[in-house]
Amino acid sequence: MTAAPSMPRRILLAEDEVLAALAIQDELQSEGYAVDVAPDGQAALEAARRAMPDLLLTDLRMPRLDGIGLIRALRGMAPLLPVVVMTGYAPAGGTAAFRNDGEGPVALFSKPLDMDALLEELRRLLPSAG
Amino acid sequence: MISTLAAFGAPSLAAPGLCVLVTPQLAWLHLLSDVAIGLAYLSIPAVLLVVLLRRRDLAYPWIVGLFALFITACGLTHLMHAWTMFSPAPATDTLLKAITAVISVAVAVLLWPILPRLLALRSPAALAREVEERRAAESRARASEARMAAFIANLAEAVFVVRVWPGGNMEIETVNPAFERIFGVRSADLAGATPERVLPTSLVEQALPRWRIAAERGETMEYELTGDLPVGRRSWQTVLVPLRGPDGRVERLLGSARDVTATRRLQASLVQSARLATVGTMCAGLAHEASQPLNTAALWLRRVRAVARDLAPEPKAALVRAVAVLEEQMQRAGELVSRIRALAGAEPGVEESFDAVEVVGAAIRAATPGAAARGISLALRGGNAPMPVRGSAARLEQALLNLLANAGDAIEERRRLQPNAPARVEVDVRDDSGRVLITLRDSGAGIPEAVRDSIFDPFFTTKDPGRGIGLGLPFAAAAARAMGGSIEAWTPPEGGACFRIELPLAEAPGASAPLGAVIA
Repeated sequence: MTAAPSMPRRILLAEDEVLAALAIQDELQSEGYAVDVAPDGQAALEAARRAMPDLLLTDLRMPRLDGIGLIRALRGMAPLLPVVVMTGYAPAGGTAAFRNDGEGPVALFSKPLDMDALLEELRRLLPSAG
Repeated sequence: MISTLAAFGAPSLAAPGLCVLVTPQLAWLHLLSDVAIGLAYLSIPAVLLVVLLRRRDLAYPWIVGLFALFITACGLTHLMHAWTMFSPAPATDTLLKAITAVISVAVAVLLWPILPRLLALRSPAALAREVEERRAAESRARASEARMAAFIANLAEAVFVVRVWPGGNMEIETVNPAFERIFGVRSADLAGATPERVLPTSLVEQALPRWRIAAERGETMEYELTGDLPVGRRSWQTVLVPLRGPDGRVERLLGSARDVTATRRLQASLVQSARLATVGTMCAGLAHEASQPLNTAALWLRRVRAVARDLAPEPKAALVRAVAVLEEQMQRAGELVSRIRALAGAEPGVEESFDAVEVVGAAIRAATPGAAARGISLALRGGNAPMPVRGSAARLEQALLNLLANAGDAIEERRRLQPNAPARVEVDVRDDSGRVLITLRDSGAGIPEAVRDSIFDPFFTTKDPGRGIGLGLPFAAAAARAMGGSIEAWTPPEGGACFRIELPLAEAPGASAPLGAVIA
């Protein structure tokens, strides 16, 4: 695990709860991912414009631009981008609400997060390059 | 001719009054006429007497008698007249004539006063006409009666007549077919029986006191009742009208009852639906707001655990233990949030078309080992053909598991008081006019009427602390509602509890493919 891959996989984390974002960032970094943190959807969109991540990990309820708007915007640029949604209140219809045919996978996690399950899913979606 | 007559004594031509009969021929004619008239006059009264004896219903029989007497007397005068042609007997002849005169005059005098009454007698034609009119009136009355009977027989409202005896005892006199339909009883079993003996207990307990009041006060009465009848839970509105006899006493009660079950059910379902919608909104908000701090706290606890790795063994052990306790408690809180979120109907899961029968079977299979361990038998009835519904199969299965667990708890509750009480749950699944009905019938303690309206409210529970927090039934209700269905609960007359989930039947997949598509 400590044998870091030559190019760490990059995760864009959009989460308006700063304390939660900090803890998640910590966990992800200790797992060897490179993490960009954005406090809302709009900031995340700007960060993605600067550098498209390998995976989007996002909350749904956020100021300025919510999770669904962010997913639609990023998928417009990178249709196959894998997305992991963390939410306290999943919309009816489950992942179908975020995903159109032919687009990348979407995983849905409810809060409180089961961090181990989330890390497992990340490993599945982002197979180590190394 | 004369010589022949003379052979047995010729009539005396000198007889008084016959002085003008100058020829023997005339004398003989006279004689024979008198005899003929006399005999005829004796024959007629005989006929009259026969009529008098045979027809006892004559209007004025004594008149017929008088006529007979009068004609007899006249006949005797004629015979006497013939006799005197041979042997003059002036005294007898005169006496007879005088008697005849008295009778004739008496009859003549008596007839005049009775004339109006005789004229007033109806002729046979008039009688026949009257009989005909009566027959027509009777047939009209019968037709009208048949029409009324048909109205009552075809009336959607239940109609019943109760006889009220002077002591206050009541007896069912008659009911119409709608009564049999609504209350699930047979008319043949009812007629002449006391209500307590033949009507369902739940009906008698509620209705009889009202019947008594209506009979005592003699006033029209209206009421609405809900009860568990053999045909299921029913609500009905009744109007009771007391019918008085000639002495003013209430002799009968005429009742009409309207089945308002569908209306009340719809109202209840709207209320339940509105309540669930409110609960859903509240639960969604609560789940979201509670999940954020729980989430952050849980994430930071993981960091504490990570930091603890580098500590000395003793403080490390203490810290890890504390973290474990905190994590466990937060996990409990997290599970509660998940269950509350499930009530809001927002759990991830794509809506799908699936076979309700299969899900019911799966739920029973999943619950059977646990039930068997508690000595409870589960049985499945119906469901011989697939019944497609739309929604989340996992949610429906969870709803059924909740209902089965609830039934198990109710059975155990009853067995604490009655150790030998039956312990079984029967699940019946059937389709009925576009709906799937999943009915669970348990032999448990039943649902107290007082809490019937609350059992689907979140956190309402009658169980002992620690045995349930009151989210199982609300979840079942939310799951049914999310599938466009509903849930209801009632206590059947035989005891225990009944829960019924009603779901709209979906089109069978492929069954509705248009013919054109196949041809194309």
